[in-house]
Amino acid sequence: MTLYVVRRAALLVVSLLAASVLIFLVLRLLPGDIAQTIGGIKATPAQVAAVRHDLGLDRPLAAQYADWIGGVVTGDFGRSVLDGTSVSGQLAEKFAVTGPLAVGAVVLALAFAVPLGIVAAVRRDSRLGGAVNALGQFGIALPTLWVGLLLVVVFAVQLRWLPAQGFPVDGWAERGQALRSLVLPWLALALSEGAVLLRFVRSAVLEVLHQDWLRTARAKGHTRTGALVRHGLRNAAVPVVSVLGLQIAALVAGAVVVEQVFVLPGVGQMLITDVGNRDLDKVQGEILLLTGAVLVIGFLVDLAHRLIDPRLRSAV
Amino acid sequence: MTVSRALLKSRSGSAGLVLVGLLLLSALVSLVWTPYDPTLARPRDGWLLPFSGGHVLGTDRLGRDELSQLLAGARGTLLTALLAATIAAVVGLALALAAVLVPRWIGAAVVQLTDVLIAFPVLLIAMILTAVYGGSTWTVVTAVGVGAGVNLARVARAEAGRVLNTDYVLAAHAAGSGTWRTVRKHLLPNIAPTLVVQLSLVLSVAVLAEAALSFLGFGAPAPAVSWGRMLHEQQQYIAARPLLVIWPGLAVAASVLGFNLLGDGLREAADARLRIREAR
Amino acid sequence: MRRTTALRLAATAVLAGLAATACGTGSADDPANAGQTSQAAEPAAIDTGATVDVRLVLEPTSLDIASTAGAALDQILLDNIYQGLLTRDENNKIEPSLATSYDTSPDGLTYTFRLARNATFHDGTEVTAADAVWSLQQVTAKGSKNPDAAALASVKSVSASDDHTVVVTLKHRDTGFTWGLTGRAGVVFKKGTDFASLAGNENGTGPFKLSGWKRGSSITFVRNDAYRGKKAKVAKVVFHYIKDDNAANNAQQTGQTDIETAADATLLQPFSDKSKYTVLRGDTTDKFTLAFNNASGPTKDVRVRRAIRRAVDNAGLIKALGGAAKPVGGPVPATDPGYADLTAIDAYDPDSAEKLLEQAGYGSGLKLTVQIPNIYPAEIGDYLASELKQVGVQLTVRQVEFQTWLDTVYTKHDYQLSLVDHAEARDLDNFANPAYYFGYDNANVRKWYAAAQTAAGDAERDVLLKKAARQVAEDAAADWLFVNQTLTVVRSGVTGVPRNFTSNRYDLADLAVAKKK
Repeated sequence: MTLYVVRRAALLVVSLLAASVLIFLVLRLLPGDIAQTIGGIKATPAQVAAVRHDLGLDRPLAAQYADWIGGVVTGDFGRSVLDGTSVSGQLAEKFAVTGPLAVGAVVLALAFAVPLGIVAAVRRDSRLGGAVNALGQFGIALPTLWVGLLLVVVFAVQLRWLPAQGFPVDGWAERGQALRSLVLPWLALALSEGAVLLRFVRSAVLEVLHQDWLRTARAKGHTRTGALVRHGLRNAAVPVVSVLGLQIAALVAGAVVVEQVFVLPGVGQMLITDVGNRDLDKVQGEILLLTGAVLVIGFLVDLAHRLIDPRLRSAV
Repeated sequence: MTVSRALLKSRSGSAGLVLVGLLLLSALVSLVWTPYDPTLARPRDGWLLPFSGGHVLGTDRLGRDELSQLLAGARGTLLTALLAATIAAVVGLALALAAVLVPRWIGAAVVQLTDVLIAFPVLLIAMILTAVYGGSTWTVVTAVGVGAGVNLARVARAEAGRVLNTDYVLAAHAAGSGTWRTVRKHLLPNIAPTLVVQLSLVLSVAVLAEAALSFLGFGAPAPAVSWGRMLHEQQQYIAARPLLVIWPGLAVAASVLGFNLLGDGLREAADARLRIREAR
Repeated sequence: MRRTTALRLAATAVLAGLAATACGTGSADDPANAGQTSQAAEPAAIDTGATVDVRLVLEPTSLDIASTAGAALDQILLDNIYQGLLTRDENNKIEPSLATSYDTSPDGLTYTFRLARNATFHDGTEVTAADAVWSLQQVTAKGSKNPDAAALASVKSVSASDDHTVVVTLKHRDTGFTWGLTGRAGVVFKKGTDFASLAGNENGTGPFKLSGWKRGSSITFVRNDAYRGKKAKVAKVVFHYIKDDNAANNAQQTGQTDIETAADATLLQPFSDKSKYTVLRGDTTDKFTLAFNNASGPTKDVRVRRAIRRAVDNAGLIKALGGAAKPVGGPVPATDPGYADLTAIDAYDPDSAEKLLEQAGYGSGLKLTVQIPNIYPAEIGDYLASELKQVGVQLTVRQVEFQTWLDTVYTKHDYQLSLVDHAEARDLDNFANPAYYFGYDNANVRKWYAAAQTAAGDAERDVLLKKAARQVAEDAAADWLFVNQTLTVVRSGVTGVPRNFTSNRYDLADLAVAKKK
């Protein structure tokens, strides 16, 4: 196990480096650059060239990469060329919106996906199971942005229960207001996330119900539910945990859309803006941090897998 | 029992078939006929209500016929979904098989590459492709296909790893079954149910992703017609003309539902077949 | 059974809610309904402690107005935070600002500005002629990176004759010089300011001070209580950056904002209650310009350009966008010098467009691509494609990011058609500059424009500009689809709201809120 962890950690570092090269190069494919953003449509080409030179954008790519990665290694993820703010500072500020948005949505999603998923599996042949399953199917099918739009029309504009858009100017200092502005985004995001999870919980539990050992456990006198709770859920958790890991990336994408619909100043909105401005120094830092976070979560999920599923411990 | 018969017998399978059939039918019909030219703008007929001026579902702000756009949009949606799923299947299977079958160090590298790619947001791929090549069906399809493909690879890899470690495969291997034969006889049939479910998800994810990308302004532009684009253009006016937003949204939802139900049905059918074969 | 009933009930409730918003057409078919041009007078009792929430569209990329381009910076920073020697009023008339008065020598080459005596920067130091001289010299210096440096290109030298007098001498007469000073090129900074330090900060002289910037969301200004002149009437203004028109509409409707700028003309229905809202209709210089590549490709042929102009029904487009726009027909909007109604030139006439295309050798069809930055309504591209299809031109729309547009179209001139809102006032010079991305070159236009610049008086200038503008329109150098009008929704009780040119500058000096009874 220790050997595995060490090797897996070494691979993680290699992956992060590979990711940084990939991010750096792919962003350089974008047409236009920040000198043009600064110069706008009135600056002369000579002025733009001068700005480009000042910013060091005319240096070889290798040198620019070395500069950047050198900073990253020492914990400096770079600064915005436009307004001088640090990448880590800005990410922290935006994450104060996106973090609660994503975590809240996952919690909400799990809260109804797990019990409903189990019900849908255990009672698969009853009307209840069918109804729950159908509910899940509908939930997946509804486009998040569309649901968001309708939620706003009904609950913000018509009923005036919740804010239509935005996040308080003072952020979490206005806690009640901040929470209120996240309710509709949570609902919009949790609906599709929860429905996806429900589906996986259901199929994982079904899988377990077919296993021989569960039949054995029942034969030994456990009730079906008892057997499921004692032995089954742990096994059913394996695919669900792995799906949850995968959903992190999907969640980030979903958050981008939801941030757009509800005009929330989160990570997704910042990324779109920064790519639009070609503030590449900032974008590459942000994406590396995000990608890194997903890779680390993947690493942890793998470890969790091994702890849950003993069979994997001996395998590669 | 054949797969198709099993599919018809399952409730979700037949419901899925009906919905996907409707999508297919709309797409085919739109090839030869729509009530109006879906891209013809006539602002003087803008925002007509349903059943007025010969427009069954009314018109949008530019005076384009909503029903014609919905029909033509089915074509774009179907195309996007199928192309994305094809790309995802090729990318996913290739990466997964590479990870479990080749020498260990290459496999590990492939696994790492997959993980790096998974961590890379699809949205960013789409944004960059759009910036470089301009928004088009292809940029959407490539971004969604690759994004879903690497995810598929991870699930398929985990599944393949599990299957390869089961007693009967180990036994088959010990009995002298070659690698390719093991893949064909044991691995593929056993991971197929999971893959089919995943692919049906990819189809639906592609439809949803197209809608989301178009909504964010990274979709295929005119004269292409798609439901995502309709949502993108009409969402501004949801307060004034909610139905124009509701129709394309429902169309997206119905297609996604169709693909998902079809996937469910297929899995049940495949499960049944597997059980019968194992029982023999 | 009960389950389905409950479900149906819920669905009905949702749909009923949606339908309730839908009743009433919501559209402003009669443009006269879409906004008014006057607003209520300032109430007797105003709340000087009030906070006003304003919806704006585009967020600045930086606050460094000396080096970073963008109308979003001008919009909030000019007049409110930073001031120049001169400014302009609601109707684009040039007015004094930091300079209380100025003289011009008879030959038009020497300008003498007298500075306000009690002006201070926000850090408390006094504004002197040395600051003004230094600031102008930064713009006119060789290698200046001020994106607006061209506005002061005619300046020969700047000097201070005493602590409060600035003397500017010009190389030649320049009818655009005082106008140039009203923009960002004329802003007075404290001598020796490191512009890089202004990226997220300020040290201006205006009636408001920057209090905070939540990137991606809002910028907050507070009243500068040490201001030399008439103090601001509200304590705090929060600019909320909301791109989406629907979201902005919801924010205004639910009271999250007091003022919604750039409201969509077709979405005014919720604001029809005159006791709760005022809708202001204002002018802009936003010329939505369908640019043709005059230098290469099929559009090098004037017949093709004229055909495209004739194929597109601008009135239809204006109608589709809700009516808050005016046809223009030429490069000069009604509020700029040199305006004349040129809509008769190449007016909508699809039949003759087809004939022109045939003459140009495209009788069997023509394929063109238009590049449109994705910040504009997608429907404009759809409409153009639909109109051109009628005359046998297959138009592909490429929606691109603005940066991509800057790179491919603006810098590399790699395009056939392009659509951009040229929001700048007085920018006819783009057609007198063959190196500009339009690639339009007409010796007469260049000659007339240059003569207009150095004309002795405004009347002489206007005649020359008119001549140049007409020639540009006759050569179909571009198609000016429409000049936008801008709608501002104001909650009742808020007065002194800017109405015209709101995307270029947003002067908050008169903004006031009635005291609650």
